Amino acid sequence: MSGKGERKLVIGYDALTDAAIMAGCRFFAGYPITPATEIAEEMARKLPKVGGIFIQMEDEMASLMAAIGASLSGLKAMTATSGPGFSLMQEAIGFAAITETPVVIVDAQRVGPSTGMVTMPAQGDVIQARFGSHGDYSIIAIAPSSVQDIFEHTVMAFNYSELYRTPVILLLDEILVHLREPAVIPDKMEVVERMKPSVPPEEFIPYGGEIQREMPSVGDGYNLLIESVLHDEIGRRIGTDSIKGSRMIKRLWNKIEGNVEKIAKEEFFMMDDADIAIVAYGSPFRSAIKAAKIARSMGIRVGVVKLITLWPFHDSMIRRVSEQVKAFVVPEMNMGKMAREVKRAAGEKRVISVPKLGGSLHTPEDILSAVKEVA
Amino acid sequence: MKVIEIRISQDLCKGCFLCVWACPYKVIDVGKERNYRGVNVPIVAKLEECRACRLCEYRCPDFAIQIITDKDVELLREAEQIELRWQRRVELVEEMEVSE
Amino acid sequence: MRRLDFAHYLAKKYMRTEMLPHAFCPGCGIGIIQRAVLMAFEELGEEEWNRTVFVSGIGCSGWTPTYFRRDAIHALHGRALPLATGIKLARPDLNVVVFMGDGDSMAIGGNHLIHAARRNIGITSIVVNNMIYSLTGGQLAPTTPMYSYTNTSPYGNIEPNFDLIELMKASGATYLARWTTWHFIQLKNSVKKAIKHKGFSVIEVISQCPTYTGRYILRKPDPRDYMQWMKDNSVLFDVAKKMDKKELEGKIVVGEFLDRDDRPEFSELYWSLIKKKEVEA
Repeated sequence: MSGKGERKLVIGYDALTDAAIMAGCRFFAGYPITPATEIAEEMARKLPKVGGIFIQMEDEMASLMAAIGASLSGLKAMTATSGPGFSLMQEAIGFAAITETPVVIVDAQRVGPSTGMVTMPAQGDVIQARFGSHGDYSIIAIAPSSVQDIFEHTVMAFNYSELYRTPVILLLDEILVHLREPAVIPDKMEVVERMKPSVPPEEFIPYGGEIQREMPSVGDGYNLLIESVLHDEIGRRIGTDSIKGSRMIKRLWNKIEGNVEKIAKEEFFMMDDADIAIVAYGSPFRSAIKAAKIARSMGIRVGVVKLITLWPFHDSMIRRVSEQVKAFVVPEMNMGKMAREVKRAAGEKRVISVPKLGGSLHTPEDILSAVKEVA
Repeated sequence: MKVIEIRISQDLCKGCFLCVWACPYKVIDVGKERNYRGVNVPIVAKLEECRACRLCEYRCPDFAIQIITDKDVELLREAEQIELRWQRRVELVEEMEVSE
Repeated sequence: MRRLDFAHYLAKKYMRTEMLPHAFCPGCGIGIIQRAVLMAFEELGEEEWNRTVFVSGIGCSGWTPTYFRRDAIHALHGRALPLATGIKLARPDLNVVVFMGDGDSMAIGGNHLIHAARRNIGITSIVVNNMIYSLTGGQLAPTTPMYSYTNTSPYGNIEPNFDLIELMKASGATYLARWTTWHFIQLKNSVKKAIKHKGFSVIEVISQCPTYTGRYILRKPDPRDYMQWMKDNSVLFDVAKKMDKKELEGKIVVGEFLDRDDRPEFSELYWSLIKKKEVEA
């Protein structure tokens, strides 16, 4: 795919793989699963051309572990899967979180649970993206809504993973992975590179401070101790010391939850004078915008809040919006998962969840009827 | 090659007595004193019988015993230098903990 | 800061002495395996030590490389080999040494073991076989002898066990050896050979667990009796070929079973493929 700077017809998985390579990704380990198979196939074709490594591992758990191993060795790494594989990867996501390894995981969601409706889109994994692994940890999850978004948000995912030393989940759905629409692929984008240590190995503290941006790779003489047990600043296990253990868990949690204002991103459309807000993300955002325009033409003052980062959830932004509007409408291709978060943050204001299941996308009329209900 | 001494660490020994079992010349024996763990630490019974075959070293799981010949003195000194270099990192972490 | 009164020079040179004494039981075979590996590196030289990375699974054997003063990754139960695959592909110049237990490699990690062998990736795996799940307190493992009593087989174990060497031979590994912790010098030499060997090498070490295997299965809680048992019941591979099945019952066959160099090593094959594609693209 070429077209630097010009507007071209691009397909979702093409934009994703090109963005990953532009962001510096040089390792991909994957396993075929519908609808994310094309991502693995494209990376298999593109990565060797830029000197990267592609490997198809024996299952999804091995894929994410191999990506973590490559990331620890200094390469930016990625893996892609769908619902069943995402459930398998949860233990390894917890491992990446506690070892503070940057890695990007793409989840092209399909209707679940279990094997579900294999080729049909859904947004049912959004809570699992945040709370899927056991224990207390924090994570960043991003949801693009168009092919242009896929390009920009993939680069953003890699940048966030380096800035906050965390796994980042890119939540797509089957529609977006296979969608072909016009997009502008820029020549270059701002890419955050890994920071090399500034002190000699005898003085380097791998997990010191709030966030340790400096990350040496294994095999460079820094004698890192990378543990899956809860560990202190140089990697030694904590054992049974509750005070130290709780301090280290809080450090992992606050690394991202404490930086919500810097991490969370959203876009506002027609919100200046709105008194009903549609909060949407992913493919339903496209129907929401159309529904809002129709409603405006009918005289209803509707605006759209497009969530870009789903996690960490931007509580303060929803609270601010709730002071302005009288109700929220949250269309999702699930039984109402982010709607719970919006309800939690919206205080007294009404929140209407608009689920659409079975693999179909909201029509603008679906969302419009909910808006008319609260108008 | 002369055996200068046989050093046994009180901190590291766990009292498994594999060294006592391994020695073909009955140089080491089970001692009467107990270390901080409450185990009987082996003692050197007959230093003059030691031929530095090092079977006791090979059988010790805890790195607690070493036959010291003149070559070993040099090896220990070099190893000590390397050990001291890396103490810095542990000291830094402990300073951080104290200050919190 | 607490300083030890004395430690062997190998411990001072190669181990994190601030974490010693290590957490293994008195008389545990893992300490002996650590010493064998360190002696192997002492003889191989500083250059090999400097480009070594250790990975381990979960279990008693998983704590082995965390005491070494070198990059050590204590990964998930059974998933040490895929992580090591990622490291070897990204940095083919490094020696990757993986420590796994018998349950870690053959039970939950069985799938990854056969695929790593199939790919013949340049990893040295040391499988610490104590015939039981020791860290969780003595449950049965795929290598527990039949009819023995463990915490999860209180009426006797009715599962036959694996022969790791046969499994690896069929999967395509290229250097295979089995020793016990009694065969110290041979173990050290095998470790040296395996690190130098280019493909996937597996060294199975029958190691003593006096606390669980010793008490439950062999009725030998003293590590000295256990080691004597290992010495008396090991048969060298060449000698075992001439013995019949009846004589080999209950014996441990040790030796170097396989050493072939006719299969290409995976990371080498991959990187030579890329060079070709870069030239073509």
